[in-house]
Amino acid sequence: MIDTKKYIFTFVITSAIFATAFFTSTFFSNKRIESVKSIQDNIAIDILSSETQFSLLGEVPCSNVGESSLSPELSTLGDKLSRTEADRGTEDKDVIYLKKYYSLLQIKDYLLSKKLANKCGIAKKPIFIIYFYSNQGDCPDCEKEGYVLTRLREIHPDLRIYSFDYNLDLTAIDSMKTIYRVKSSLPALVIEDKTYIGFKTVEELEKLLPDTLKVATTTVSKKAIIKQNTPKVIVNGTTTVATTTKVVN
Amino acid sequence: MYPFLFLSIYFQVLLLTSFFENKKKIKKEEEYEIKNYPTVTVAVPCWNEEKTLASTIDSLLALDYPKDKLSIIIVDDGSKDRTLAIAEIYAYNHPEQIKVLSKENGGKHTAVNLALEHSTSDLFGCLDADSSVEINTLKIMVSYFDVDKNVMSVTPCIHIRNPRTLIQRLQATEYLINIFVRKAYGQLDSILVAPGSFSIFRKEVFEIVGNYRKAHNTEDFEITLRMHKAHLKVMNSHKALVYTVGPATAKGFFYQHLRWARGFLENSLNYRELFFKKEYGNFGMFTLPVAFIFIFYGLYATVFSVYIISSQLIISINRWVTVGFHPQMPIFDLFYFNTTAMSFIVMVMFSMLLLVLYIGNTLSDDKQQFYFNFPIFFILYPLFAPLFFGRAVIDTFFKRRNEWVLQDTKK
Repeated sequence: MIDTKKYIFTFVITSAIFATAFFTSTFFSNKRIESVKSIQDNIAIDILSSETQFSLLGEVPCSNVGESSLSPELSTLGDKLSRTEADRGTEDKDVIYLKKYYSLLQIKDYLLSKKLANKCGIAKKPIFIIYFYSNQGDCPDCEKEGYVLTRLREIHPDLRIYSFDYNLDLTAIDSMKTIYRVKSSLPALVIEDKTYIGFKTVEELEKLLPDTLKVATTTVSKKAIIKQNTPKVIVNGTTTVATTTKVVN
Repeated sequence: MYPFLFLSIYFQVLLLTSFFENKKKIKKEEEYEIKNYPTVTVAVPCWNEEKTLASTIDSLLALDYPKDKLSIIIVDDGSKDRTLAIAEIYAYNHPEQIKVLSKENGGKHTAVNLALEHSTSDLFGCLDADSSVEINTLKIMVSYFDVDKNVMSVTPCIHIRNPRTLIQRLQATEYLINIFVRKAYGQLDSILVAPGSFSIFRKEVFEIVGNYRKAHNTEDFEITLRMHKAHLKVMNSHKALVYTVGPATAKGFFYQHLRWARGFLENSLNYRELFFKKEYGNFGMFTLPVAFIFIFYGLYATVFSVYIISSQLIISINRWVTVGFHPQMPIFDLFYFNTTAMSFIVMVMFSMLLLVLYIGNTLSDDKQQFYFNFPIFFILYPLFAPLFFGRAVIDTFFKRRNEWVLQDTKK
């Protein structure tokens, strides 16, 4: 004897469990997006504040302007954005919007740092690596290059790495690509205004970095290296690559 | 993966609702009493069981049941050790109750059938020579036959006796889960197996469905299939405790479960006419098909898990090869908690499984180390299950011979 009502009742309960699971997951996913947006807003304010401070530089001595004026949350944002991308996928509209916003913030941070260096001289000159990657399966070495950059950041906390998704539809990134003559061959790295195409190991990149960074690095304690967070960005669909900026105070 | 997860949750919810819906009825079963004691024959088929036979027979002799109503038939199935000698000593000391039969080795089903031929009792049961019963076990089981004339078979509540090794502790938890599952199946009239360890049958069951068959070395499952086919009622008695010795080693456990899985697959295929037939009730429409599907679901889940784990492993190896091994302190941030729908569903499944274990533990009066044993089950069982299920599927597909491999036990 089959009790059909029991089977229907069980189906309703099971469906309710599934619906609750999906609802809860969506709720937390949206919370993540909100959190990332909130960080981005904070960074935007930080950058605006730094720009304002920069405008005042004529009246303020360089000694009063430290690296801390630049956004310290950009690396945390990179981490969280990569996690959001892993959860929601690279095609998610919110993720694409956040990545565009993040890319713009990186460019602004980069420009501001450069201006600061020009105004205050070599003492304030940060070392940059601009990194172009693709996560559409057309860059087999991008994943490995991400590991290398992560490691490089651990060794040289003063190093500033800006990462850009080559395929992101953003005119500002297109301009960066034009300026640094980056074609579709990836990974592409820009160090000291020179563009390098193809995979580079930690050792190869260290040789390309200016000596000032290496000197600065020797003064950084081992403890500081271990403590710092490792920013990650999704490349080739995996959460592996550290390619965001980080300001070490 | 989601359709399988849905089926798993559905299965758990159905069993839990069936159990809780009938909780009062289940409680009432504990108050059953016997008005008329029927005669009972218990067959003990043995093949090289010199180490455990004595304790099995002692437990049968100690049963709280009228001596003139209980007879024991020990069938030596061509043992090469002292099994027959031990059996004859017991027969000499208890001639009114114990009879010994000896034959050439022919498999368990032949031994039980021989006992069946010599039995004239109202009820017939079989106790494996590596198992033992509690003093009140038979009385409790017989009460079910006395209360409901439609009950044709009663299955007991089986525990692993004194689990010592890791593998035995794993089985202790597995058997606890089975205690709940069998009880819940009983509420749906769809008990899957009347196990060889002390399931009791009315004698007419064998007149209706015939004697035991070899049935791919899982004669207990096959005869249950025949009973369902004949619409005979099988019930479970959760207070009738039976203790059995589980294999002590991984090898023994693997071959025992391989035999069960293979037997399940082969017999299910042989009785495929029961699948999705309304006339066979919940058994045909749900229990049997779901158990069959779960074997393949288990294998799919394993492949899925191996894929996920190996993907992560490849990423880690790739990273180490590229930049070397540089461990970092993990970052604690709620932001990074896994909040995917699948993780919530798996959490629900896990919670329900814990509830099942709790019910299994409280249903019977056994007080073994459940809390210590269950983590062993959750770690080791997923490692073993794909091996014996996978091998069973392959062996069935290629029609390989199904051998009864002797399980090693540590007593």
